[in-house]
Amino acid sequence: MKHRQGAGLKLRGIHRQFEGRPVINHLDLDVAPGEFLAIIGPSGCGKSTLLRLLAHLDQADQGTLDRSEADLDVAFVFQDPCLMPWRSVIDNVALPLELQGVPRHHRIPAAEALLKTVGLGDAQGKFPQQLSGGMKMRVSLARALITRPDLLLLDEPFAALDDITRHHLDDHLQSLWLSHPMTVVFVTHSLSEAVYLADRVIVLSAGGGNITLDYKVPLPHPRTAASRLSTPFIDHLRTVSEAFEGHSRTLA
Amino acid sequence: MKPLSGVLWLPPLMSFVLITGLIECSIILMDLPAYLAPRPSAVALALFIHAEELLKATRHTGIAAITGLGMSAILGALLAITLASHPLIRRAFYPYAVFFQTVPIIAIAPMLVIWFGYGQGAVVAASFIVSVSPIIANTLTGLLSTDPALLDLFRIAKASRLDTLFKLRIPGAIPHFLTGLRIASGLAVIGAIVGEFVADSYEDGGGIGTAVEIALKEQRTDLVFAAVLMSSLLGLLIFWLVSGLNQLSLKYWHLGEFKDS
Amino acid sequence: MKDLRLLKIIGLGMLMLILSACKGSPDDPPAEGAFKADIQLDWVPEPEFGGYYAARDSGLFSQEHLEVHLKPGGPGVPTLQLIESGQVTFGITTADNLLIARDRGADLVALFALYQTFPAGIMVHAERGLHGLEDVFKEGTLAMEPGTPTFKFLEKRFGFHHIHVVPYTNNLSPFLHDPQLAQQCYVTAEPIAARRAGASPFVFPISDAGYNPYSGILVTKREVLIKHKDEVRRLIRAIKAGWTAYLKDPTSANQAMHQLNPTMDEATFEASSKIQAPLIVGSPGTPIGQMTLERWQTLSGQLVELGLIQPSDPQSAFEPSE
Repeated sequence: MKHRQGAGLKLRGIHRQFEGRPVINHLDLDVAPGEFLAIIGPSGCGKSTLLRLLAHLDQADQGTLDRSEADLDVAFVFQDPCLMPWRSVIDNVALPLELQGVPRHHRIPAAEALLKTVGLGDAQGKFPQQLSGGMKMRVSLARALITRPDLLLLDEPFAALDDITRHHLDDHLQSLWLSHPMTVVFVTHSLSEAVYLADRVIVLSAGGGNITLDYKVPLPHPRTAASRLSTPFIDHLRTVSEAFEGHSRTLA
Repeated sequence: MKPLSGVLWLPPLMSFVLITGLIECSIILMDLPAYLAPRPSAVALALFIHAEELLKATRHTGIAAITGLGMSAILGALLAITLASHPLIRRAFYPYAVFFQTVPIIAIAPMLVIWFGYGQGAVVAASFIVSVSPIIANTLTGLLSTDPALLDLFRIAKASRLDTLFKLRIPGAIPHFLTGLRIASGLAVIGAIVGEFVADSYEDGGGIGTAVEIALKEQRTDLVFAAVLMSSLLGLLIFWLVSGLNQLSLKYWHLGEFKDS
Repeated sequence: MKDLRLLKIIGLGMLMLILSACKGSPDDPPAEGAFKADIQLDWVPEPEFGGYYAARDSGLFSQEHLEVHLKPGGPGVPTLQLIESGQVTFGITTADNLLIARDRGADLVALFALYQTFPAGIMVHAERGLHGLEDVFKEGTLAMEPGTPTFKFLEKRFGFHHIHVVPYTNNLSPFLHDPQLAQQCYVTAEPIAARRAGASPFVFPISDAGYNPYSGILVTKREVLIKHKDEVRRLIRAIKAGWTAYLKDPTSANQAMHQLNPTMDEATFEASSKIQAPLIVGSPGTPIGQMTLERWQTLSGQLVELGLIQPSDPQSAFEPSE
């Protein structure tokens, strides 16, 4: 029986360097099961590297990474939707189940259901070339969710899209997380997106990957478009923003 | 009123008419004898009169060339997949793939005769040797240039090596393979003709290579050019077939494309 | 306006391409001094050219105030085209090729015929116990160059239905490896090489089957003959003397040719020059290099029958020697 909560993560002394320069500098971090964690920071602060370490796509040079379970189901969403152009939308979404050996008559209905959830129920026979950027990203999200992952990692997934589409996708992600409990680690450049989506926002410093701010966002879920303009939201955004700017200013 | 550039066959037809017209006039004006420079009109006449034999010869060579190209496609793709599987294998065996490209076929053709005997066996082997290299090289490039993000996705999904090969690398490499096949199509014809110079069997009249040799011996320069023209047309036909395959892969199997005409 | 200029440039470029096919002829004699002549050999230096090297090296050409350059050839050398385009003045070929060239419009003339008997033959393994040339066409494989008059003659005379005909590529190893293989040959070359490689070759001469063109003939353009009648006469005189000397003693000319063609060893040179002697001499009392109208007429008739040329009078195809 799989955990319905999501994975817990414990990082101690994680150190990773490239060509002699540390990208992540002896980092300690705890992530609670089912938590929505947003990571923000300037370019080169190691946030993408951290995600890759969590996904076991990369190995830390030092330190330990404990996961609450040995055999975790991890899903990753990149900035590029990364769909296979020779497969239809539904076959793209069903791919992770296919790779696990799930037969067609099980995985196709699962894919159909997820596509409906992200509003693409009519597009399942289409091919990626026929979709807009936002639609492709929604397919990518559906694909990430199809195995009911314990850990969902997203690396600036909506950065290439316009603001309106971005807000829609933020809401899709939020509703998917609320209906499928899982731990989410979400890297973004957008402070308001981080505050909107996350339980907890972490600011990483440039060129060393140290945590300069670990901030809880106690706003209730689900958050709506109206939330973005509420006073508490703006207060939280201001705090995060000051910490972010302040640290950036000390570097400049 | 469709612009001239819009009609597909009109520009090449116009350039063909212009060039052959210029050649015809030059030869007449300079009073060049037929045994030095045959007039395009004489070549056309020779083509017409000897149409049956030339078509038979073209069919003879065409079968060998298409068989050779087919072998190159299958074996070339398999070799590329093998080379792509491991960097050590690649380093150890890729030089041999390059060997296919650099070996002068005229030199090893007699050996092909010893191994395959006279006739289609050796000719197909020659066609294969000459045409396999671009397929290996292009397919290998395609297999090695798989989208790294998709490779990461497969790793995270704990996909088996076989699944990664058949569900990701190979479908992604098909446009590259087809590019290699396009390049190889002309080479397959050349390889077959060169093979014929050494190993053709004359029972059914032989192929285009033999037709060229006979025309040279009989000092019929118009026939030489007619036979050469047939070989070009054969190359074009095979190229056109491969391009059709490319279009199909795009339209029905969505196997990607490269931007070219 | 720019397009018109581009068109002119393209047209000019193509004209130049075609003009390059038409070279000027280098047969204008220098103002004073010896007459320069180059002779294109249709193969590598072998005893079939021995008399030319003998004439050159014993000063017979310079005695006649001739400066002669012998140009070795090889497989695929386009001797007739080189003469036709004026790149060489003289060349060596076989009588059938000459008649075909004349039929295609080239006014070339034969001046001297070395071989009175055609040296071509079909070489088989003696172990097969074949009695006559017709047996060659009953079974087995025959390696021959396609499209030659000899090929067509044999095809017409004997038919290829019962044998497997394949290309001949100047390579002896298929013959050595296949006891059922027969191949075209020149008696002066392949049989000797086959014997040295340990095989027991047997040769059926093509001339015995009734096809006997003059071979080793020296040809030039008629305009050269007309313009330099005296020089040509002197050239032929020197060549005849060279061959007479070579037939008496081929040693030094063979050595000279061996230097140019080291792949053929001295023993083979000796054997080859011995074998060719009776083919050159012909019936007793025949002057060396002689040609008769009758034989040219016979050949012409045969080529017409084979569909290679239109009927024509071969009188003007050769210049009878004195």
